Amino acid sequence: MAGGNRDGVTRGSAAAVRALLLSCAVALRATAQLVPDVRLEAGYARVDQAGFDPVNATLLALFWRKPTDRWTLFTSGNLTYARDSLAAAQGVAAFAVPWRANDHLRTDFGAAGASFSLRGAGRGGNGSGFLRQHYVRDQWGSWVGTAAGRTERDRRRTRSYAGDIGGWARWRSLYASASLSRQNSNDWLLLLASGQTASPRAASYELEDWQLVAEARRGPHELSASWTHRRSVAGADVRVEAVAVNGELQFNDRLTFLASAGRQLSDPLRGLPEANIITASLRLSFGPKPLPVMQRATIADARLIPRVEGGAHLVVRVEVHDTITIEVAGDFSEWKPLPIVREGNAWVVRVALPPGKYRIGVRANLGPWLAPRNLARVRDDFGGESGLFVIP
Amino acid sequence: MNMHRRVITLVALALASVSPAPAFAQGPVVLRIADAKTRVVVEREIARAAARGLPLQPLIAKAMEGVTKQATGERIQVAVSLLAKRLEQARVLLAPSTSVAELTSGADALAIGVPGTMLKQIRAAWPVERSVAMPLDVLTELVARRIPAQHALEQITALMARGATPSQIASLGSSVQADVAAGLAPDAALDVRARGVMSLLPSPAAAAASAPSGRRQP
Repeated sequence: MAGGNRDGVTRGSAAAVRALLLSCAVALRATAQLVPDVRLEAGYARVDQAGFDPVNATLLALFWRKPTDRWTLFTSGNLTYARDSLAAAQGVAAFAVPWRANDHLRTDFGAAGASFSLRGAGRGGNGSGFLRQHYVRDQWGSWVGTAAGRTERDRRRTRSYAGDIGGWARWRSLYASASLSRQNSNDWLLLLASGQTASPRAASYELEDWQLVAEARRGPHELSASWTHRRSVAGADVRVEAVAVNGELQFNDRLTFLASAGRQLSDPLRGLPEANIITASLRLSFGPKPLPVMQRATIADARLIPRVEGGAHLVVRVEVHDTITIEVAGDFSEWKPLPIVREGNAWVVRVALPPGKYRIGVRANLGPWLAPRNLARVRDDFGGESGLFVIP
Repeated sequence: MNMHRRVITLVALALASVSPAPAFAQGPVVLRIADAKTRVVVEREIARAAARGLPLQPLIAKAMEGVTKQATGERIQVAVSLLAKRLEQARVLLAPSTSVAELTSGADALAIGVPGTMLKQIRAAWPVERSVAMPLDVLTELVARRIPAQHALEQITALMARGATPSQIASLGSSVQADVAAGLAPDAALDVRARGVMSLLPSPAAAAASAPSGRRQP
């Protein structure tokens, strides 16, 4: 690597560290006031870009999530650093807002900013924003979205636009999605650095990506694979396929192991070059109430609403992402899962019960049965737990 | 073990649910469990309990819970066997009570560590014709909330002695739950709520006077 570029890397690294510290400061300040989900991830990556020797990189990320009844805010800061050759820092803030008028609709929007110094793709920064509309049913959903990004690299500015449409379906522990996206960009340097084209032929180029994703989930554990077929629609001669595999293994409430391997295609929106990447990292979840990763059934709570005719309505609310499979069952249903509906940010079960003592369990993605967090907990004799409640 | 397509029909199901002891008389239980080995083992365990005159409904429910939760056959057998033992203990401790509801409540209380002597104290606090299932259930819930068993027992038996209804006792548990959710310590919540229920009840003298032959009325 040239000396000038190394200086650039040093400056880029300093900017990256500043961006990360800023993300940490913002997230920790918010943490002190609210009861969020906070995660810290640290690990290792091996990055192999076309035309360069593979490099080892250090990964560090802070993730913060705060849900309310009407919206959820996600923020994160990421730092990737490889001593003299690669550094990047990224901050993201995103909202997920369910519609009041229709429980099946949810709007996601957000913005991301990055500072980087990349081999073969210069140093600089990137800003992007996205808007995505979801339609969510119990076992399937669809979305349509748009996004725009600007990248400044070695004082040269580029812009990119994208649109995507997709759908997903879920069956027990399996989840699959298919999507089509189109990206228009004039960031030729990114495409050149990815080795996907020899020289610019027009002011901009347009890419079309077909992507299939399959995931298998077991409780908090997750294994996913994606296949992407990319071709250029205009301005370039690109035809490439990419496969990537990701896995998460949760040891306990606070500690999770994450690994991934595969090809990351260039992303003009975020200014990321194409590379083969292998990562391994550990995630530590902490905070006043650790609620790791939207997948813990313990974020369920149960309420009893007395009925005039006696007994009560049991209302169980499980706040998780709509792609997570949730089952709620109890001795009153002979442990058969109860009908569940999506309301806002949560899956909700309602059932009328006469006076008596009952046990109930909730599980996510066929994981262990757990008690709603606000009920008394008892062991269930089968390695799980149940929530216990008495209706007057 | 293929237990995914299991379950479900229970025939000859011990429909002793609401009747006292002699109704435990039962025919053979057939569990529709796909795995034959598990089915045989669990049915044998339930047959043994039936021979001892124990209510079958809670045992079958426990077995089916294990099946639904995809537990191994061995684990289901152990769970059913342990529940049978607890039901037998509860029958002794709650004698002469013999209803399925009371024995099940007693067994559940024992399962979370309530001492057997406390079951006897609960039984003694009300006349034998009056079910103590609800007081036992509330005791179980409070102990599961990490309230010391002795403390919970004292509050519940005090309410029983003052003539509280099962509904009033049950509301103690749900009130404590609401207070705990609001951030109050379970112990403190129990004290406050027990005093609240107590204030609605007649005085000890009035409660005693209204009970013929020295027995409190249900």
